[in-house]
Amino acid sequence: MTRVQSWRNGRYIAGNYLFVLPFLAFFLVFTAIPIVQAVVMSLYNWAILAKTHPFVGLDNYVRLLDDQIWWQALRNTTWFAFLSAGAITIFSLFVSLQIRKPGRGRNVYRFLFYVPVVLSVAAMGIVVGWAFNTQFGLVNALLAPLGLQPINWLGEKELVIPTLALATLWWGFGGPMLIYLAGLQSIPRQVYEASEIDGAGRWQTTWRITLPLMRTSIFFVLVTQLIAHIQVFGQSYLITGGGPGRESYTSIYYLYQTAWRYYHMGYGSAIAVSLAVFILVVTLIQFWWNRRQAAVEY
Amino acid sequence: MTQPLHSRILTHAVLILVALACILPLLVSLKISLEPSPYAFQAPTWVWHEPSLDHYVEVIQRQDLMLPNWFFNSLFVSSAIVVFQLLVVSLAAYAFARLTFPGRNLLFLVLVFTMMVPAQVTMIPVYTTIRDFKLLDNYLGLILPALANVFGLFLIRQFFLGIPRDFEEAAMIDGAGRWRTWLVIMLPQVKAGLITLAILTFLGTWNDLFWPLIVMNKLEMRTLTVGLTVLNGSYGTERALVMAGAFFAIVPALILYGIFQKHIMQGNILAGLGGR
Repeated sequence: MTRVQSWRNGRYIAGNYLFVLPFLAFFLVFTAIPIVQAVVMSLYNWAILAKTHPFVGLDNYVRLLDDQIWWQALRNTTWFAFLSAGAITIFSLFVSLQIRKPGRGRNVYRFLFYVPVVLSVAAMGIVVGWAFNTQFGLVNALLAPLGLQPINWLGEKELVIPTLALATLWWGFGGPMLIYLAGLQSIPRQVYEASEIDGAGRWQTTWRITLPLMRTSIFFVLVTQLIAHIQVFGQSYLITGGGPGRESYTSIYYLYQTAWRYYHMGYGSAIAVSLAVFILVVTLIQFWWNRRQAAVEY
Repeated sequence: MTQPLHSRILTHAVLILVALACILPLLVSLKISLEPSPYAFQAPTWVWHEPSLDHYVEVIQRQDLMLPNWFFNSLFVSSAIVVFQLLVVSLAAYAFARLTFPGRNLLFLVLVFTMMVPAQVTMIPVYTTIRDFKLLDNYLGLILPALANVFGLFLIRQFFLGIPRDFEEAAMIDGAGRWRTWLVIMLPQVKAGLITLAILTFLGTWNDLFWPLIVMNKLEMRTLTVGLTVLNGSYGTERALVMAGAFFAIVPALILYGIFQKHIMQGNILAGLGGR
C-alpha cells in the first residue's frame, strides 16, 4: 500500500530517475545525439580544421555516387562479407552437428574451437597474416608435401578477399557454433525417437528433421554475421593494408582514411550513413526472403 | 542414434583436424617468437632452434616501442570501463526492471532502436565531441564513450526480472530504501550476470582496435592492439619481435578464457553476435 501511494509522490519518481540518469547522460552524449549528428554532418563540408563548415545539402552523397573508390570498397566489402558470413554460417553448423552429444570430447573440442575467438583482430592479423605468407607461411608449408607450388595468397587480385575470408572463418566460427549448440539442445529428444522408429537414417534425420528445426538459428546467425562482416576493418588494415592495389580495401577502411587521414568529417559521415543504410537494406532483404521461404515451406 | 564405428572414427579425424587448424597457427607464431630472428624467414619446421625469451625481453626494453606503457594502458582502460560500466548499467537496469518513471517505455524503445544502428555511424560525431572536450590522447576519451552499454543494460535487466518480487518487498517492509535494496538485496542476486558482462566488456575493450586507433595517437598513450599494428607495420623485418609483442596481447586473453570459459561462452550466446 505504502509503495503505491509513494509512486504518486513526485520526489519519489525523481529518485527513480536518478537510477537511470548516469546511463542516460552517457547514452545521449555518446550514442543518441551522435546518430542525429552523423546525418546532419553529412550535409556539410566539414573539414575538421576549417573555421566554417558550409552547408552543402546532398552534395556529399552525390559525390559518393560518382566515387570509384567508394564503389570498389563496397564491392570488396560485400564480397568479403558474403564469403565470411556464408562460410561461418555453414561451417559452424557442420561442426556443431558433429559435437552436439554432451561429453568430455565435446567440451575439449568446443574449448579448442573457441580459442581463436578470444584473440583481438590485431593479434589475429599478425598470426594469420604470417601463416599466409608466400615464402615462410604455415599454409604453403603444409601444402608443399601435396606437390603444390607456393601460392601468393595475399598478393593475387582474385585470392586476397577469399583468403581474408578464410582467416575470418578461422577467427570467428567458434561464436556461431555455440549458438547452434544451444539451439540443438532445445530440440526435444522425442522428435528423434520418433524419426528413428520411422526408420529414418542419420543423413535423412539431419536434412529432414534437424535442419528445418534449426532454421531460426541459421537465419539468425547468417543475418548477424553479415552485419558484422560488412563492418570489416582490422583484417585488411593489418594484413594487407587494403592491397594489392585496392583489391582488399573495405568501406570502413575508406571511412577511416577519409575521416582520420584527410579529416573530411562531412564526407566521412556521408560514407558512414550510406554504409548503415546499405546494412539495413541487406538485412531487410534477408528478412523478406526468409519470410517468403517460410511461407513456401509451411 | 548410434553411429557405426567407422563413421565415428571419421568424425573424430575431421574434428581433430579442425582443432589442429585452430591451434597450429598460434603454436607456429609462438615458436617464431622464441627462436633467433633468422628462423622466422624459413618455412616452419618441427625442429626447435635455440629457444629463448630474448625477443620478449627486447620488445619490452626497446625505447622506440613503449610496450610496457601499451600493456598498462590496455589493462587500465579495460578495468576502468568494466568498473564504471557495471555501476552505470546495473543502476539503470534495475530502474528499467523494477522502478516506474514517466517515459520509461518510450526510452526503452529508443534504446532498442539505437542497438540496430551500426557503431561506425556515431564514430565521427563522438570523435569531434571527444576532441572538443580535449580528451584525445586521454584515458577518458576511451572510457567515457564505452559506459552506456545498451546490450549490457538489457542483459542485466533480464537478470533483475528473474528475481522474485518477494525479496524486495521483504526488504522494503524492513525499511530499506530503493538504494539500499538495489545495493544489498538485488545486486548480489544478479552476480552471475554482472560477472558475464564484466568479462565480455573487459575482453571487448582489451581487443578493441578501431576506437583506440582514432583516439590515441601519442606513442606512449597507445593501447596494446594499436601498438601491435604499429609494430606489425613498421617492424616487418623483425618478425620474431612482432610475434613476441603479439603474445603480450594474446596470453592475458587466453588466461581469462581459461578461467571464465563458462561465462564467456554464455555471454557469447546471450550477445548472439559471436563476439563481433
